[in-house]
Amino acid sequence: MELKEEKEIHRTAQDIINQLSVILRTAHIHDPGNIAVVTAIERFLLLVGLITQTESQIKLELVGEFFYLNDTRVRYPLEYLLNFDFLIREFKKREIGKVIFMDGLESSDVQVFLRGFIAAGFSDSPYDTFSGIMVETDNIETGNLKKIAEGTDADARKVIKRVYYHAVSFSQGVMTKIKSGEKVNVKKAKRIVESMVDHILEEEKLLVGMTAIKDYDEYTYHHSVNVSILSIALGQRLGFNKRLLTELGLVALFHDIGKIEVPNEVLNKSTNFTEDEWKLIKKHPVWGLKAILRLRGLDATSIRSAIVAFEHHLYYNFSGYPKVMRYGELDLFSRIVSLVDQYDAMTSARVYSRIPLSPDKALSIMMERSGSQLDPLLFKFFINMVGVFPIGTLVMLDSKELGLVYESDIVFADRPRVMIIIDSTGKKVSGPVVNLAEKDATGRYLRSIVKTLDPNRYKVNMAEYLL
Amino acid sequence: MVILSMEIPEDIKEAKDIVQALLKAKKTLRMYPQNNPVYQKTLEDTNDRFKEFFTYKNTLTLKIKQNSILYEDEQVFYSPEKEDNLALFFFKDGLRELTFSKGLSQEELEEFLRLIALDFDREAIDDDVVTLMWEKDFQSIQYIVDEAYLVDADAESYEQVAEEKLKEQVTDVSDLMRAYSDGFTEEDVKSVSIVPLSDNDLQSLVKELEKDSADKIEKLIAILFELVRLAEQKHDFEDISVYCKDAIAYAMKHGNLIAALDLMKRSHEVIDNQALDEDEKKHIRRLTLFLGSEEVVGSLAEMLDSGVDIEEKVLDEFFGYLEKNAIEPLIKYLGELKTIRARRNVIQALIVLGKKDIQAVARGLDDQRWYVVRNIIYVLRKIGDRRAVEHLMRTIRHGDIRVRKEGIRTLGELGAREVIPTLRECFNDPDIQIRVATAKAFGHIESEASKRVILDQITAKEFRDKELDEKKEFFEVLSHWKDQEVYDFLVKILKSRFFFNRAKLFENQACAALCLGFLGNKDALPVLYAVRDSNNKLVSDFAGIAIKKLEYGT
Repeated sequence: MELKEEKEIHRTAQDIINQLSVILRTAHIHDPGNIAVVTAIERFLLLVGLITQTESQIKLELVGEFFYLNDTRVRYPLEYLLNFDFLIREFKKREIGKVIFMDGLESSDVQVFLRGFIAAGFSDSPYDTFSGIMVETDNIETGNLKKIAEGTDADARKVIKRVYYHAVSFSQGVMTKIKSGEKVNVKKAKRIVESMVDHILEEEKLLVGMTAIKDYDEYTYHHSVNVSILSIALGQRLGFNKRLLTELGLVALFHDIGKIEVPNEVLNKSTNFTEDEWKLIKKHPVWGLKAILRLRGLDATSIRSAIVAFEHHLYYNFSGYPKVMRYGELDLFSRIVSLVDQYDAMTSARVYSRIPLSPDKALSIMMERSGSQLDPLLFKFFINMVGVFPIGTLVMLDSKELGLVYESDIVFADRPRVMIIIDSTGKKVSGPVVNLAEKDATGRYLRSIVKTLDPNRYKVNMAEYLL
Repeated sequence: MVILSMEIPEDIKEAKDIVQALLKAKKTLRMYPQNNPVYQKTLEDTNDRFKEFFTYKNTLTLKIKQNSILYEDEQVFYSPEKEDNLALFFFKDGLRELTFSKGLSQEELEEFLRLIALDFDREAIDDDVVTLMWEKDFQSIQYIVDEAYLVDADAESYEQVAEEKLKEQVTDVSDLMRAYSDGFTEEDVKSVSIVPLSDNDLQSLVKELEKDSADKIEKLIAILFELVRLAEQKHDFEDISVYCKDAIAYAMKHGNLIAALDLMKRSHEVIDNQALDEDEKKHIRRLTLFLGSEEVVGSLAEMLDSGVDIEEKVLDEFFGYLEKNAIEPLIKYLGELKTIRARRNVIQALIVLGKKDIQAVARGLDDQRWYVVRNIIYVLRKIGDRRAVEHLMRTIRHGDIRVRKEGIRTLGELGAREVIPTLRECFNDPDIQIRVATAKAFGHIESEASKRVILDQITAKEFRDKELDEKKEFFEVLSHWKDQEVYDFLVKILKSRFFFNRAKLFENQACAALCLGFLGNKDALPVLYAVRDSNNKLVSDFAGIAIKKLEYGT
C-alpha cells in the first residue's frame, strides 16, 4: 500500500470516530429524527463507505484509552481531541468495548445504534441494555469493554522502570560530564527522550506514574527526568507531534542544568537559605543558558533549551527571576516546563524543602497560581492530564480502605485506579489495585474517595508500592 | 562415496541478495543525485528484490550483530572491517533487529535507503540512524534497539541499586495505621475541580501553536541583551559577545536578516550606553567586525542569491552596520553570485564601504575572474576617489577587453595629467572599442594636455585610414573643448583641398563638419553652407546635420 494512501486511510479512520462522536453529541440535543442528526448519520455512512470499499467491515475497539480501527490504533489530531475524549467517556460509561459496522450499513442501522446508546445511558446495567437493543440490526455487532490483562501490565511496568532509570542515570552522567568539562553526547540524549516519548504515547500512565516516586538523595537527576516526562505527557495532550515532543522532552531534561554551577554546600544545605544563598540559587537560569550555549553550536534545539533554561522561573506574569526589562511573551515550552517543574518540585522532598506537598495539595496551590504564575490554559490541560487525584495521592475510600492512587483515568478524572494498602478490616496489605470506575449490579460505584491524606505526613514510601 | 550437495534455501539466498542490494544502494544513493539513472536503477533493483521476497514471505527480519547480519539464524552478511560494514553501521547505534514487512512501498524504501546513505562521519548530522528512523515513523520497517547502549556499563546496574535503596525505607506500620485512623476523623481535603476543556480552549491552543512556530533566534537575542543588563563582571561581556556571534551566524544562515539587524541595533545601544565602561563595550564592538566576516557575508550572499524578497531598506540598514573588513569577503562572494540583483546589491554595498578603504577594494583588481575585476573598477569609479587611479593603471593591460574598456573609462573619469602617458598607449590597441574608449577617456579629462593628445591623433597620418565610425568618435570627443583652437582646427579641415585619397579625406571633412555642429559656434555656418554643396554626399549630409543643429539646436 502506498504511503500516501495509508495516510488517507488513517485520516478517514480519524474522521469516522470523530463523526460517530458528532452523531452522539447531536443526538444529545436533538431528536434522532432531526435533520441535524440525520445529516450527521449520512456523513458517517459516507465515511464508512470509503473504508468498506476495500474492507468487509469496520471494527472499532476501545482498548485502554485508545481507539483501534481494524486493529490499528488511531491517534487523534488536536481538532478532534474533544470528540475523541467524549466518545471514550461515553463508551466507558456504557461499558462498550467493541462495535463492528458491516458492509451494507444503512441509516436505519445507525438509528438503532443511537437508540441503544441513549437507552444505555440511563440504565443501571448499561451494556446489557445496549446489546439488548442492538439485536434489532444485523449490520452492527458489539462487544463488552475488556479489562487490560494484569500480566501485560506487569511486563510493561518493568520496561517503563528500565526506561525511567536509564534516563535518570543518563541525566546524572550529563551533569557530571558538564561539570568536568567533558563533551555531552546529544545523540544519546535524543535517544533517551525518544524512548520516553514512545512509552508515553503507548503507556502514558505508567511512565507518568514513575514521576511520583521521589528520590530525595538523587533529587536533581530525578527531577530533571520527571520534568521531562511530565512535559512530554502534557505536550501529548496539547497535540504535539513526535518530533516536537522529543524537542520538548530534551529541553525539559536540561532545564535545570545551571544548578551544576551552584556550589554543593549551598544546594545540599539542610537549613534555610540565607539571602546571599538565594541570590546564588536565582542565578541558575542564567548559568543554565550559558551552559547550554557553551555545550555545542546553535541549532533549533539548543536555542530552545537555552530559552527554557533562562525562562523557567520567570512565570507567566514575569513575577519570578531573573528580572527582565525589554521582553516579549514567554516561550510556550518555558510555560510548560515552568508548570510541571513547580508541580514536581512541590511534590518532592528536597534538601532545602524537606516536607513535600501531597499531589492534590500541590494542585490546589497551583490552581490558585493559575493565571498569575502559571499559564491558565496550560494548567487546564495539565489538570485534565493528572486528574483530581494524581498518582501517589493517599486516599481514604468509602469502603473503609486506605489506598494510594496508582493510575489516573483519562476519562473519569475523579475515579483513578487505587492500590489498597490497608483493607477494610484495618489490616496492612499490598494490593489489590482497584478501579474506582467499577460499579455494582445496581449501577452504584463500588468505591469512592472520601478523603485525601498527606502521604509525607505518614512517611509512606511510594517506591515500596509503585515500583 | 556419496557427495551431498548443500542446497541453500531460496529465502536465505534472497535475504543475502537483499542485504547486498542494501549495501550497494547505501553507496550509490550517496554518490548520485536523485534524478540520475544509476540512482533510479539501484532503487528499482532493490525494490524488485524485496517484492520478489514478499511474494512468498510476509516479513524479512534481520538480526544485527557487530560484524554480521543473520536471517533465520543463517549468516547473510559478514565483514570484520570498519569500512563498508553494514552490520557495524547499524550495530554501533544500538540497532539489533530490522524487520521489513510485506507492503513496503518504493517511496518508503527510498526514504530508508536515503537515510542509511547519509555520510554520518562527514556530515554534521546531529542524529544517529535510530533517531532518523524513529522520526520517519516507517509503516513497513520496524526495528528493535538495545537501549543499554545508551548508558555506561556501570550505569546498567543503576536501576537495581536505586530501586533497592528506595525500597529499603519500608513504611512503618504504625505510621500507616495512624494514617488509617486519621482517615476517619480528618476533615475532607478540598479537592480540585476539573473544568472540562472547551472548544474555546482548543482554539486558543491552536493560536498558541501557530505562534510557536516562529523562529526562536529573535527570543534568544532578546535574552542575550537581558544578560548584558544582568552582567556583573567584565568577562560576562566577553561571554555575551561570543553568544551574540553565534546568534548572528545562526540568524544569517537561516536567512533571518531582521534578527541579525535587531542584534546589531541592540549592540549599538549598548555601545552608546554611557553607564558602561570601554572595557565592557569593547567586546560588543567586536560584533561589527564579525558581521563583516567571511562566514556572515557568505550567508548574506546565499540569502541574496536565493531570490528571497529582502526589503532594500533592511539591506541598506544591514550594510550600514558593516565595517571595512567586510570588503574582502564581499568581493570574494561578488564573483560567486548568480543573480544580477544580488550582484547589484553587493556592488552597492562595496560602493558605500569602499570609501572607508580604497586599498581593500583595489585589491579586488587582482581577482582572477574578469567580471569581478570589471565590477571592482565600476565600484572604484562610483566611489570617485582619485587615490584609486594608481591601482587602476594596470587594468588597461588586462587580458580581457571588457576590463580594459572599463579601466580606460574609469581612468578618464578619475584621472588627470598623470594618466595621459598610460592612456595614450591604448591608442595602439588593435581593438577599435579600446581606441574609442581611450578617446572618450581623454574627453572626460578635459585638460589642455588631453586636447593636445586628441588633436595629435586626428592630425596623425594614420588617422586618415581609420574607419568612419572611429573617426566620428574622435571628432565628437574633440567637441568637448569648445574653444577657438578647436574651431580653427575644424574650419581648416573643411577648407582644405586634396587630390589623393579623396574618399578617406572626405570622411575627415565630414566628421569635422559634424563636430562644428556640436561646438555650437554659429560663426561656422558660412563654411558649413559652403561644404553642404560638396559633391561628396557624406560631407554634404554631415554639414546639413551640423547646420540644423546650429540653427535649430536639433
